[in-house]
Amino acid sequence: MTREEIYDKLNEVFQDVFDDEDITVNDSTVAADVDGWDSLEHINLIVAVERCFGIKFTMGETTGLKNVGEMVDRIIAHLG
Amino acid sequence: MSLVSALFLAFVAAVLLLYYVLPKSVRLWVVLAASLAFAGFLGFYTLLFVLVSGVLCYVGGLLAGPSKSNALRNVATVVTVVINIALLCCIKYYNVLGLAAERLNLLFGATETANTFFLYAVPVGMSFYVLQTSGYILDCRWEKIAPEKNFFKVLLFSTYFPQLMSGPMNTYANLSAEFEKAKSVRFSFERICDGAVRVAWGFFKKLVIAERAAMPVNLIFADHQTFTGLYVPIGVFFFAIQLYTDFSGCMDVVIGVSHMLGIELPENFNCPFFSKTVKEYWRRWHITLGGWLRDYLMYPLLKSEPLIKLGDWSKAKFGKKNGKKVPTYVALFVLWFAVGYWHGGLWNYVIGSGILHFIYIVLGMIFEPAFKNIRPKIGADKLYFRIFQSVRTFILMLSGFVFFRSATVMDAVDMYAAIFRRGGAALNWANFSASGLNLSNLIVLIIAVLLVAAVDAYKYVPSEDDQPKSMIAFLRSKGIVVLWAAFMVLLIATLVFGMYGLGYDSGSFIYARI
Repeated sequence: MTREEIYDKLNEVFQDVFDDEDITVNDSTVAADVDGWDSLEHINLIVAVERCFGIKFTMGETTGLKNVGEMVDRIIAHLG
Repeated sequence: MSLVSALFLAFVAAVLLLYYVLPKSVRLWVVLAASLAFAGFLGFYTLLFVLVSGVLCYVGGLLAGPSKSNALRNVATVVTVVINIALLCCIKYYNVLGLAAERLNLLFGATETANTFFLYAVPVGMSFYVLQTSGYILDCRWEKIAPEKNFFKVLLFSTYFPQLMSGPMNTYANLSAEFEKAKSVRFSFERICDGAVRVAWGFFKKLVIAERAAMPVNLIFADHQTFTGLYVPIGVFFFAIQLYTDFSGCMDVVIGVSHMLGIELPENFNCPFFSKTVKEYWRRWHITLGGWLRDYLMYPLLKSEPLIKLGDWSKAKFGKKNGKKVPTYVALFVLWFAVGYWHGGLWNYVIGSGILHFIYIVLGMIFEPAFKNIRPKIGADKLYFRIFQSVRTFILMLSGFVFFRSATVMDAVDMYAAIFRRGGAALNWANFSASGLNLSNLIVLIIAVLLVAAVDAYKYVPSEDDQPKSMIAFLRSKGIVVLWAAFMVLLIATLVFGMYGLGYDSGSFIYARI
C-alpha cells in the first residue's frame, strides 16, 4: 500500500471518528489541528485506525505518536 | 526528613557540594548515595522498602523485556506489577489494618500504643514511588524502552531523592535522559540561583500561606457542630488554598532542588484554579498523576478486547455517536475510582477525589453538544462568562474537597448538613479568629495569596509564541539584581511570616502522606 493510499483511507477514518467530512490530514497534522482530538478521542481514533488497516499499535506507539506522519510511518511498518 | 526543614536544606547543600566538587564520573553515584541516605533518614523500613522494590522493579523490567518469550514476559509483568501495587494497597490500608490490629491487641489487654510498630513500619509517601516503578516494568513490556541492565541505574531512577516522597511522577525514558545530561552539566551560578528562588517560593507557599490557611480549616472541620452555616464554605475555601499552596509549594522545592543538580523534572501544576472546566482542571492539577493513569490504565483498558466489544455493542444499540461513548465512560469510571483510591484508600477519597469528578466530567461530556448550540446565544465568549466558568469549576472542586478533608464519608455528609444547621456559633470575627487567624495573620495571608494568584495569572496568559512561561525567567530577563531581590524578599518574608518553630508542625506536606 502506498503512502497516498494510506492517506486516502486515513482521511476516511478521521472523518468518521471526528464526524466531520471536511477533515484531511497530512504528515504535519497534530491533535491541536483537529477539533475534538483530545486524549479520550485519541484512543477511539487509534482503535479505528487499527481496524481499518488490520494492525495493532503497541502501547508505546499509542502514546508516543508525534503527528499523523509518524502514524503513517508506523502503519507502513506494521503492514510490512 | 521533611522537605521544609533546615535539615533538608543542609542535606541539599552537602549533596550539591559533593556533586560539583567531585569528578563528573562519580556524580550519579553521589546522587544515588544521597537518595539512599534520604530514604534512610525517612526510616529504616523505608530504606528497606525502596531497596526491595528496586530489586523487584529491576528484575521485572529484565523479564518483561523483548528477549524473552511472550508468555514469560506477560507473567513477569503481571506478577511484578501486582506485587508492586499490592505493596501500595497495603500502604493505603495501613490505617484500616492498623486499626484492626489495634483492636485485636486491645482484646488481649494491650494498651493503645501497642501497635506502633505496625504504623512505624509502613513507609509514608510511597504511592508516587510505586506507580513510577510499575510504569518502568510496563514500559519494558510494551517496548517503549529497553530494560536497563545496570541495577544501580534502575535504583537511581526509583529512589531519586527530590521526588521520592511526593513526585512528580516520571518515566524512565525522561529521567534517565536527564541523568545522562547531568553527567556533563557544569556548575553554573545562574542554575543555582534559579533553583534557590524556586525552592524559596515553595517554602514561602508552604510556611506563609498553607500553614496559615490551615488554622480556620482545622477549627471548622474539627467542630462542625459548632461552626455551621457559612463557616462550612469558608472552611472549604481556606482548605483549597491550603491544599494548593501545600502541594504546589512542595513541587516548587522538589523541582528547584533538582534544577540545581541540572536534572529537570516535569511540572505538576499549571494554574489549576483558572480552569474553565473540570476536565481542564485535571490537565492542570497533579498533571503527572493524570498522565500516568491515562497512559498506563485508561488507554490499555480502552484498547482491551472486552471494551472494544462493548463499544461495538453500544454503537449498535445507541447509535454511533452515543454508543462510542459507553466504553469511554466505563474506562473513565475505573480511572477516577483509581484516582480516588490512590489518594488514600478510604471512601472519602474515593468519592471526593474520584467518583464525584467522574460524574462532573461525564455530565460535561453529555451536555457538551447541547451547550455548543446555545453558546453563541448566551455570549459565551464574553469576559463575564469566562469568569463564571472558572468560579463554577472552583466551586465544583470545593465540593470534592469537603470529602478529601473530612475523616470519613459520614463526616463529610455531616459537613454538608452543617451548612443548613441552625444554632451554631454566630458568624463574627471573634469566633472566626478563635482559630488563631487574627487580623495581622489574615492580612499576611491575603497579600501572599494575591501574590500567588498574580504569578499564576502571569503564567496562565499565553505568550506570543505559545510557550510555557516562567516567572523566574521573567525576573532574570529584568536583571540578576531583580532576581536576587525577589529571592531576598521571599527569604525574609518566609523567615518573618512563616509558621514554623516551637508549637508548629509544618513538617509534613499533605501529599507526602499519600
